[in-house]
Amino acid sequence: MTAVELDGIWKRFPGVIANAGASLTVAPGSVHAVLGENGAGKTTLMNVLAGVYRPDEGTVRLDGVEQSFSKPADAIAAGVGMVYQEFRLIPTFTVTENVALGSAPAVLSKSSMEKQVGELAERFGLHTEPGREVWQLSMGERQRVEILKALWRNAQVLILDEPTAVLTPNEAAELGRITATMAAEGRSIIFISHKLDEVKTFCDEATVLRGGKTVASSLSVDDLDAGRMAELMVGEATAVSQRRVRTTVVGERVLDVDNIIVHDIHGRAVVNDVSLVVGRGEIVGIAGVAGNGQRPLADAIAGLRQASTGTVSVTHTDITGMDARTRNSHGLAYVPEDRIGVGLAPRMNAIDNAIMRNYRTLGDGPLIDFGQAESRAASLIERYNIKVGRVDQPLAGLSGGNLQRLLVGRELDDEPVVLIAAQPTRGLDVQGVKAIQDILVEQASDGVGILLISEDLEELFALSDRLLVMHEGAVVGEFDPDTATRQEVGAAMAGAHASEGSAH
Amino acid sequence: MFGFRLAKRDQALPGGQVLAFGIGLIVALAFGAVLLVVAGHSPVEIYLKMADAAFGSPQAWSTTLTQAVPLGLAGLAVAVAGSMGLWNIGAEGQIIAGAIAGSWVARLGPDLPGPMLITLMLIGAAIGGGILALGPAIARAHLGVNEIITTLMLNEIALRTVRYLVNGPWKDPTSIGFPVAPELPEQAALPTLFERADISVLIAAAVLIVFGFYAARSKWGFELRIAGSSEKAAEYVGISLKRKILTVLVLSGAIAGLVGGLRLGATDRIVEGVAEGWGFAGIIVAALALMRPSGVAAVAIAFGALRVGGVAIKGQGVPASIAEIIQALVLLGALGAAVFTTYRIVGPKSYSGGDATSRDTSEVTS
Repeated sequence: MTAVELDGIWKRFPGVIANAGASLTVAPGSVHAVLGENGAGKTTLMNVLAGVYRPDEGTVRLDGVEQSFSKPADAIAAGVGMVYQEFRLIPTFTVTENVALGSAPAVLSKSSMEKQVGELAERFGLHTEPGREVWQLSMGERQRVEILKALWRNAQVLILDEPTAVLTPNEAAELGRITATMAAEGRSIIFISHKLDEVKTFCDEATVLRGGKTVASSLSVDDLDAGRMAELMVGEATAVSQRRVRTTVVGERVLDVDNIIVHDIHGRAVVNDVSLVVGRGEIVGIAGVAGNGQRPLADAIAGLRQASTGTVSVTHTDITGMDARTRNSHGLAYVPEDRIGVGLAPRMNAIDNAIMRNYRTLGDGPLIDFGQAESRAASLIERYNIKVGRVDQPLAGLSGGNLQRLLVGRELDDEPVVLIAAQPTRGLDVQGVKAIQDILVEQASDGVGILLISEDLEELFALSDRLLVMHEGAVVGEFDPDTATRQEVGAAMAGAHASEGSAH
Repeated sequence: MFGFRLAKRDQALPGGQVLAFGIGLIVALAFGAVLLVVAGHSPVEIYLKMADAAFGSPQAWSTTLTQAVPLGLAGLAVAVAGSMGLWNIGAEGQIIAGAIAGSWVARLGPDLPGPMLITLMLIGAAIGGGILALGPAIARAHLGVNEIITTLMLNEIALRTVRYLVNGPWKDPTSIGFPVAPELPEQAALPTLFERADISVLIAAAVLIVFGFYAARSKWGFELRIAGSSEKAAEYVGISLKRKILTVLVLSGAIAGLVGGLRLGATDRIVEGVAEGWGFAGIIVAALALMRPSGVAAVAIAFGALRVGGVAIKGQGVPASIAEIIQALVLLGALGAAVFTTYRIVGPKSYSGGDATSRDTSEVTS
């Protein structure tokens, strides 16, 4: 008897195959981990189970009965609840109101509802105050409200999408107790995660996805160690990746980051005492599972986010106290992870976006010399082979590859000494990836020091001179891409503490 | 409904706004024609009368432009804020604040020579409007308080203040009970330009041209547009959002305040209804101009003409309600049509349900 059985699930999106015959079997009363790298198809598969997507092929069975969900409400009615990473709560409603929203009895009695919600919470050890408004709650409490919402709808299968990403360690431990209680009642919990230690502590079995396929199903977590998990998640090093042939000698330090600590609004150190250096002409890769501090680190170096302590220097000039604009004028270029909305302004046209960094120098006095602006844009478009329909139309219609070439090209236009490239090839097609990687390699040959943050191990191995691994905000290992194996790096990414690389 | 939905166009329709407004206008006039026929009028005749009243003679032009002045400046005030994504709903109150400040200047220096007094009154009016916008500006910039609420609520404060002034300390003792302030000094009246239009037409034209140009071509205007497109992109290139929000909202208030100063010329004195809804009409003007300061003037003249035409046909036996319905239809048609320059209708079949496409649009709009 199985609680959940997903079999041969295919789901295609324009240009992407998210699930290619993935399967998943979950026993009743168990906590089941679903593992995989970003883009492995975990979330799509869970959305199929939760009725958000209809699979192109394949079957969904609950308790052996085939299901055909056409909307999330169907899945909820069949007893599937999902807690998304981004909570779907109404901040000004109370816990009870959020829990009961959409499935409240016709006649409402506030006090009896609060009592019922309180009893339900207590039954599963979900500490909450039914009468409080959600905006007052911590992230952990909000997550418990989401779980309560699912339990209120009598979910027999509860999907938790990377539930610990927003939690403190104590809250995470409490979540583990809650899932255990639910499993003891015979419910099934699907726990999406990247982190080996919590998978081993909280889960009974694990299924690993890679490239939209199931590569290992229902493994006992006792058989799982960091090396095995990394191997399953990232795959064997099959094709030898094209290592970049370094043409320049790494020169003087161009970027010095010393003991940077960045706190989030809850006071957690999301970047925890990171130090690193990048030399002239060097590409330093940063590997890590999403959400382990790469983004705040990049933002802090670029001056978009305040570091609590630590210093940043570019060619021996301390730029710590400078704002983003001044840092840029000191030769620090930044290709942010969000190319649309941060790196580029989507509602402005190609000319405007091409001059966003240096419009202050175009034309004397208060007016912009738009003739000069146009020629700047034209030279970028030509040099980086950007296909724009019309330069005076909003960027919104351009493909990802063209947008990224525009962004990268603009950042390199003022001949920086350091380039921070965050996920520069994510979501691009094969040619787009190659075009960007070629630009990075060419720039390194010209002496630019590059900090390459990526979730694509292949890319990091191919391009980096040195490879750092971040886990939970800290640099936990440094590797030489020529000698390290992907398993070693993968294990460090998953938080295995006995990494073979020397701790930085 | 029926599976049809709006999808954002990849590229805005080239030259689409003018086309869309044209189509919107024709559709609205067609609907209006039906109403007119039902009411027993010849639509062609009535529409020609409207056009004639608005543009048929120098006198008609002077009336239209006189309407267009407060519409254009109030529209500019809203559009300046709107081009960086801020909503100044308080132009109405800022107009009142401008009128109060302008009158106050006139009370302080009733014997100043005309040009000087007028200049000082207008400067005072702009400062008055700016001061009323200062609170919302600081609250928004430093505390993130929604400026829509604060500017909207300050309208009430401004209205109560002017009501208090004209009923109390500033009440004209010779007004036999009417809640009005004494007339302004004679030399404070704005000189006539032609027919019924005074020099406020020139002042408004100058302000609109300078701002339209400056917003489109200057570094300052460029920063405004970046911030309006994406706050994060603005921070990324090192634009101080706080300072931008502060200056833009205060500037928006100052432009609205200027309307109050100019309105004093039309009303001769400050009265409770000095703002007359121009501030709210400015929101419509700005929306029709797609929040572009450079587009405000044309919209203001068209809107002014519509109002003048609407008043004229009331005199032709067309029920006032139908005249107003026609005005509303034209505005609705133009606003509605503007939607289709950036959105298109997608039928139920082409809905892919894929998250790849929906993610694209959400990225674009975020």
